[in-house]
Amino acid sequence: MIELQNVTKRYPGNREALAQLNLVLERGEMAFLTGPSGAGKSTLLKLVAAIERPTHGQIFINQRNITHIPKNKVPNLRRYMGIVFQNHHLLYDRNVFENVSLPLRIAGYAQADISRRVRAALDKVSLLNKEHVMPIMLSGGEQQRVGIARAVVNKPAILLADEPTGNLDPQLSAEIMQLFSEFNQVGVTVLVASHDLSLISRMRKRIVRLRGGRCTNGDRPVA
Amino acid sequence: MLNTRRQPKPLIRPNRSTRLYSHLRDHLRSLVFSLGKLYRQPLATTLTILMIAVALALPACMYILLDNLRAVTQKWDDSGQITLFLNLETSENDIEKLRSRATALEEIETVEYVSAEQALDEFRALSELDYLIDGLAENPLPPTLTLTPSASAKAPDTLHRLVSDFRSYPDVEHVQLDMQWLQRLQAISDVVQRAITIIGITLAISVLLVVGNSIRLDIENRRDEIEVTKLIGATNRFIRRPFLYGGMWYGLLGGVIALLLVFTVLLVIEQPAQRLVTLYNSEFELIFPDFWQGLGLVTTSIALGVSGSWLAVGRHIARIEPS
Repeated sequence: MIELQNVTKRYPGNREALAQLNLVLERGEMAFLTGPSGAGKSTLLKLVAAIERPTHGQIFINQRNITHIPKNKVPNLRRYMGIVFQNHHLLYDRNVFENVSLPLRIAGYAQADISRRVRAALDKVSLLNKEHVMPIMLSGGEQQRVGIARAVVNKPAILLADEPTGNLDPQLSAEIMQLFSEFNQVGVTVLVASHDLSLISRMRKRIVRLRGGRCTNGDRPVA
Repeated sequence: MLNTRRQPKPLIRPNRSTRLYSHLRDHLRSLVFSLGKLYRQPLATTLTILMIAVALALPACMYILLDNLRAVTQKWDDSGQITLFLNLETSENDIEKLRSRATALEEIETVEYVSAEQALDEFRALSELDYLIDGLAENPLPPTLTLTPSASAKAPDTLHRLVSDFRSYPDVEHVQLDMQWLQRLQAISDVVQRAITIIGITLAISVLLVVGNSIRLDIENRRDEIEVTKLIGATNRFIRRPFLYGGMWYGLLGGVIALLLVFTVLLVIEQPAQRLVTLYNSEFELIFPDFWQGLGLVTTSIALGVSGSWLAVGRHIARIEPS
């Protein structure tokens, strides 16, 4: 589903964020991306979401080469994936329902579909009773769950998350990770970057360790 | 805590008609949303709209006033008469011949004869210089024929040809065309119209820049939001839409206020203008912009608003990329 072939990403100033990285994530697989700060976790996610372009190497999403994807094709690629951010990135001038419905409106779904789908997504993250609340009234964990609802509302094949539990306490973090795992169970390919090793080792999923832009544990899945 | 029992129905890609319908719905939503945005920043919005209104009202007022001036002088055109001053010695007989000759011309509608005696009497009545006039040995005033050209002969070329024809008549001492100052006035109003056009274009450009700048600031303020929507698959077109509608609202509101300003100015000057024109012995009614002119002003304003925001939006939004 996600394949990186010999990918190098060099930022201006010759800092190498990723160096000749190879990674294959099968359809329906779930993996954690871990490593110290500056190891290249965020860069890897940005390359997959076509926010950044690799300096060398090739990237495939669903067998499609997106290494040099033209700008006008990027929106369509992103509709294929849901992205969850550490700082939620919600729109604070709109209520929860409007935030979650945004990807569906962008893709042009009918209003009835939108309402049904948004409620289903909010139900999934247990926020159905907060649909008319403004995000600023929610706790950090609730805001993150709104972000997750928005990421999954259009049933993406791929779910990417960059430090989704970065600001949350252990109890909430475990709930969020459990949520990702549930999406994975219904067939979504999930890639989560997190430095919370104790949490992710309890999840019993594959762990990809990065250090200095290189993968230090190969492609071996952890049982 | 987490509800996994209820699996939502699978989501089917919207088909073409659904997409068209939701596209229209999204336009409507952007329309309302962008108005709401303006409403939530009342000070900035008011300033921008007033700048647009003043910039448009100024040339519009000048244009309407010029229109009024034209209408007034058009009426005065009717008095474009030709006066023939005859030789003092011309006999009554010759005058009568000349008179019938002029009447016969199809370019001439009426001929009015004022004899030397009548002219002296008129002068006496007007000047109150009786003792001076009584002291004159003979009447110094010539008999005159005043010719009013027919409507079809009002063109300057025709009038000038008539004037040179009359000059060649033996008994005619001098021909005076009562037109020159009107022509000058018309020439002046042509120059003024050019000037107004140039001022109008300059101010239209400033409206473009004002709207463009407001929208650019708005985009800058919502940079984060734009990045987020791009991350969830929004096209540039989708992001552009509310900003373009924002420009439209600026244009619409600015245009309507400009129209109100124009009417206010006209109402304020209506009475003094009427008095002025009455002093020139002329009928006058101030012409206000009609429905179509008003619509034209507002439409122009909307077009400027949309183009201004298009200028700002075009490059700016494409340049904002999530990082």
